[in-house]
Amino acid sequence: MVHVLGVQLPDYQYARFALTAFYGIGHKTAHRLCARLQIHDKCKVRSLTPHQITELAAFLSSPSTSIPIPRFPLATSSYKPPPASTPLAVLKEEMKKLSQRAWADPLRNIKIESEARRVVKDNIAHQRMIGSYVGKRHAMGLPVRGQNTQNNARTAKKLNRVDRRG
Amino acid sequence: MLTLSVRCQRVSCQLLASSSTSPLVQTRSYATQPKKGQIVKQASQGFKGKKNTSSGQMEHAKKDKKMMAFQPLPVSQLPHPLFESDRPDTLALQSFHPEMLTRVAESQALKFPHNENDPFRIFGLPRNILVEFRLLSKPCSVIRSVTIDAINKLDAASDKNSKESRVVLTGPQGCGKSYLLLQALQYCNARDWLVLYIPRATNLVNSTTAHTYDMRTRTYSQPIFAYQTLQRFLKVNALRLEQLRTQTEIEIERRPPVPPGTPLVELINIGLKDQGHAPTVLGAVLEEIGKQTIFPVLLAVDDFQALYCKSHYRDQHFSAIKSYHLSMPRLLLEYASGQKSFARGAVFGALSMGNTTFPLPLELREALSLEHDRPCGPYVKRQPELVEYAHGLERLAVPGSLSVPEAASVFEVWMKDRAVPSKPNDELFLTKYSEASGNARAFVWKGLLSSMSA
Repeated sequence: MVHVLGVQLPDYQYARFALTAFYGIGHKTAHRLCARLQIHDKCKVRSLTPHQITELAAFLSSPSTSIPIPRFPLATSSYKPPPASTPLAVLKEEMKKLSQRAWADPLRNIKIESEARRVVKDNIAHQRMIGSYVGKRHAMGLPVRGQNTQNNARTAKKLNRVDRRG
Repeated sequence: MLTLSVRCQRVSCQLLASSSTSPLVQTRSYATQPKKGQIVKQASQGFKGKKNTSSGQMEHAKKDKKMMAFQPLPVSQLPHPLFESDRPDTLALQSFHPEMLTRVAESQALKFPHNENDPFRIFGLPRNILVEFRLLSKPCSVIRSVTIDAINKLDAASDKNSKESRVVLTGPQGCGKSYLLLQALQYCNARDWLVLYIPRATNLVNSTTAHTYDMRTRTYSQPIFAYQTLQRFLKVNALRLEQLRTQTEIEIERRPPVPPGTPLVELINIGLKDQGHAPTVLGAVLEEIGKQTIFPVLLAVDDFQALYCKSHYRDQHFSAIKSYHLSMPRLLLEYASGQKSFARGAVFGALSMGNTTFPLPLELREALSLEHDRPCGPYVKRQPELVEYAHGLERLAVPGSLSVPEAASVFEVWMKDRAVPSKPNDELFLTKYSEASGNARAFVWKGLLSSMSA
């Protein structure tokens, strides 16, 4: 079992699916996250390296302040790699010259867990504050989106409120 | 009927029997005796359909799920009289020996040799063939005219550079391309070639193995796959590799260079000690065996078209990674295109036409002069890199239908192995052969094994 930011990820699950356990991460975001961390589709949580887990935790703790990753140069068909004894510093210098600036990364705008729940709460609170129909319906604990109330509406009656849990 | 039910029982009771300690204990869950104090309830379900099963049966169910299908059960674990055959084993086949492979041996079924370092056992097999070999009592194949053609090509290639012998087996779905590749592999192994076989090239590009960006090569290296390939290559070719030594100094990351004259086995062991070194070591090993002229080299790849498709991997910006930007496919493409070569040997690839996830791409189709399945004029984009990697590939067309003597041999193999549920007679043979139009897979799977007639 791996614990990341208070969420338990079972060892036997694929990492790409396990990440959907976070509130605010669905399948598409999980796929993008795995691509960012170089986790292949069929990688199980138990196969994740400590470095990958640390990177994941560091990214998810604050996605908006993460370091943007440049676009790495890729070999052409005629590229001959330098010998293996080339020092790492030289390779990094060459990479810096050839790396292109990355364009907007949608992952930096994601909100998870408490931040995502706060967004939902704030939206409902705003609706109530401006006195809109949506706000009134949340306050009454009735359906918001024009559903029938003669019958059914059980979920709305159970869950809708002004400080609704996200 | 009895034979099919026997075979099905053999296939189905492997689920539990392989986990039992005593071969004579009946371990199927419905037939096991309950332990002392354990009350076995009938399959009772609550109002909501909740199952009340004991923890022991739950464990059995979990174990069932973990077992794989089609594991052959050893004969010693089948003591019940139902499994005893009333007829002696009638499938007596000659062994697949390179000297036997002439035009005289056409349409003859030969069994593949079985030894500790058998390339099939070590490298693995394509899925369809694995299932067939587990159903048959012994792995075998029928020698066809195209087999002799392929072997003649290999004999000619044994003295030439691999750049001149880059062959791709083409043909419709189920015509026997993978089987032909296996026959070529066994022939080369018996003829003392160095063999490297990739049975499922789709596993290189379908995002099932780890990938990391490498600054030096500017590609995504696949260390685990390279490590496994090195391990298998060493196991199959151990005796031949012991005679070879490196000819130049080889540099490996974070390590002192390997001096010339080092045995190749030692070089491979460096890659096996640290997975991070495996991609570099694999490339170096292939270069070294490409320089030597003692043993010819066969590089055989099944699902060859997957190397030319877009991979399922995504880079850090979620763009699809091209196959030639992954270390293993790139290595295979370099040998397939002639950019790198073996001094003596050949590169053989077999297409997989039934794979919809990795279909035959346009660039490869044009390089092999195959028919187009959709309109593609000059305005359809072709990737110049793939056109370059597909340049110079030679096509060896496998006939879409078996000839009647070849089909008769296939029929005899399955008949003598007691796998045909219907009465095996000439009428059945001709009916199923015509229904399949001679297609090998349709003849066996949809014709013989799937139909029952009195």
